[in-house]
Amino acid sequence: MNCPDWELDSPEFAEHVKTCEECRELEKNAAALRELTIPPAAFAAVRQGVLSEIQAKKRRRLWWILAPVAAAACAAFVMLWGVARPIVPPAPMVAKKDPPKIEWTPRAIHPRSSGRYLAKARPAHGSESIVAVKMLTDDPNVIIIWLVDQKGDSL
Amino acid sequence: MAEFRLKADATEQSADLLDRARRGDLNALDQLMRLHEKQVLGTALRLLGRMEDAQDAAQETFLRMYKNLGRLSDIQQIRSWLYRVTVNVCNDLHRQRKRRAWEPLSGPDPASGAPDPELAWVHQERGRVVEMGLKALPERERTALVLREVEGLSTREVAEILGSSEVTVRSQICVARAKLKKFTDRYLRKRL
Repeated sequence: MNCPDWELDSPEFAEHVKTCEECRELEKNAAALRELTIPPAAFAAVRQGVLSEIQAKKRRRLWWILAPVAAAACAAFVMLWGVARPIVPPAPMVAKKDPPKIEWTPRAIHPRSSGRYLAKARPAHGSESIVAVKMLTDDPNVIIIWLVDQKGDSL
Repeated sequence: MAEFRLKADATEQSADLLDRARRGDLNALDQLMRLHEKQVLGTALRLLGRMEDAQDAAQETFLRMYKNLGRLSDIQQIRSWLYRVTVNVCNDLHRQRKRRAWEPLSGPDPASGAPDPELAWVHQERGRVVEMGLKALPERERTALVLREVEGLSTREVAEILGSSEVTVRSQICVARAKLKKFTDRYLRKRL
């Protein structure tokens, strides 16, 4: 192939091809490549693919814009709600105090006689005397005094 | 004069589309894609050799276009920008899916109303062999060949898209042509 590097659509090449078998073959090859037909459906599929991809991207972008806006709105609402709420005074604090310690001491057990009857007035010998029986109660402020004569009658 | 007027109208319409698409009008974007879909999907299909992969590449290219609409000023700039992005996306995809088997691309049906079915069959067979040969070429040579021979770009434009010099592109195309011719000769001689 010693022919010059023709531009295939040039008039020089059209003239040259009439005499050169090699270049005629070359032209046939190029023509075979150019003749390739593409069905219209293939073009439509490409266009459709591009448009749907762009629309999907737009939707995704819109979501990315709306999501932070919605999040910000929620945060603002929560903050406003917190501010607008009536202020309730805090509950009083009660200092924790331990109960007073009670030391347990066993109560002394007294014999009944000595407890109930403190003193028994004994009558003097040979005289008609009144016997006073002093009785103690559980309440130290209350004392029952029982006066009886010799015969045993109450006065 | 009339041609100039038509061109000016188309440019005005394109500028309006571009402006509306930038503002998020999906109908305008759809129109823009319709204007460039043959260029993008056709190039991707020739570079990748599989319709499914080519559709993925075209979709990715148009999505990148949508993202970069603010940077693109006019339709002519979009055209060359789209070539560059299509080539890059296809190269990435080609590296990712290298192990996939080659599958014949859909060409015209030889029996569908052709005056000479045999000739039509031979023609289609050549198409298939060329596709296979193209697939066998190294990435840079294949891209240069597709952009210049199929898409009809000038050597300068191809060099700009590939980020190399015109001399390199010329050399790549020359080598690619020779390899493709060798491949088709051998293959067609065997099969026809």
